[in-house]
Amino acid sequence: MTLGVIIVIVVALAFDFTNGFHDAANSIATVVSTRVLSPRYAVAWAAFFNFVAFLVFKTHVASTIAKDVVTQDVLTIGVVFAGLVGAIGWNLVTFYLGLPTSSSHALVGGIAGAAVARAGSHVLQSDGLRKIGVFIVLSPLIGLALGLILTLVIQWAFHKYRKVEKLNRGFRRAQLMSAAAFSLGHGGNDAQKTMGVILAVLIASGHVSKTSGVPLWVVLVAHSAIGLGTLSGGWRIVKTMGSRITRLQPVGGVAAETGAAVTLFFASAHGIPVSTTHTITGAIVGVGASSRLSAVRWGVAGQVVWAWVLTIPGAFAIAAVTSLLVQAAAR
Amino acid sequence: MTGGGIDRRAIFFVIAAAVCFALVPVAQEEFRPLAITVGVVYVVLAVLSALDAWSRSRP
Repeated sequence: MTLGVIIVIVVALAFDFTNGFHDAANSIATVVSTRVLSPRYAVAWAAFFNFVAFLVFKTHVASTIAKDVVTQDVLTIGVVFAGLVGAIGWNLVTFYLGLPTSSSHALVGGIAGAAVARAGSHVLQSDGLRKIGVFIVLSPLIGLALGLILTLVIQWAFHKYRKVEKLNRGFRRAQLMSAAAFSLGHGGNDAQKTMGVILAVLIASGHVSKTSGVPLWVVLVAHSAIGLGTLSGGWRIVKTMGSRITRLQPVGGVAAETGAAVTLFFASAHGIPVSTTHTITGAIVGVGASSRLSAVRWGVAGQVVWAWVLTIPGAFAIAAVTSLLVQAAAR
Repeated sequence: MTGGGIDRRAIFFVIAAAVCFALVPVAQEEFRPLAITVGVVYVVLAVLSALDAWSRSRP
């Protein structure tokens, strides 16, 4: 394995780590905000389920990232490196600003930007990008609908139950399960994006064939990196997701996490790289909207939407500039 | 209706439904039924929300 390949793999794992502390914070925000778990135990809980997700999901999402964003012949080590720099750069900017943007779309934007800067826009894979683009919009809407419907179903099922304290206690326990399910979905979808990047660089360097699946060691290191990232936490974003969009009770936490987990399971099974941030935000808004729309703080939600809109162009631009610099340095 | 105006939540759901239906021609064949289903769910939610607001506003 050449030094260049090793460097790109290390940078990819660093991206996975930043994805952990940036996005994985979302999977525990509701648990922390409803005080079911202390932040320390919540991150450990989420990190564990992030890691074991490799036992549950196949690697369809990794294949989409490696093969369906840009044509494979343009994916050189330099392009993958520049794409990663674009995604990490964007993640760090939005992390500093406390905005829950999508690491996934930063990665797609980064790879697309680096490839276009190297070879032009014809390298973009319209089918793959169409699938990703549709689910940028659809995944939060599915999460929102499921979060809302689950809340209504739970309210209807327990509307005659008078012991509110006991009910809340029961849902606090249930939230441990829903948080675990969401963390599993997060690990399954997000760790695979890094696997996709590493698979792309292994194909580009001739270490594996173009038709090859993801090697097991890649699966294990990707899940380890995202789990460690989760352990390191991301409290600015936890605060935004857990309390600034809408205030949650344990019942709402269960509904939001379950709705988002179902969406992520579906996306992972179909090889669609979706944003865990978009999905859980949609589900939290759905829970808030089940009582009244004014329960949702639309100013914060709108700020989040703007961050989403800017993510792909932002990462695209950083990656394109990096790609041009890499090309200039290689001459 | 709330206070003589149109229920804001119903409007939000109608917009969400419109977005889902707008995605149908763009989505790949296998995901079109999903986009349609989610759109229909939002239409139902909009109708229920409007009815809920209307029943609350009755004297």
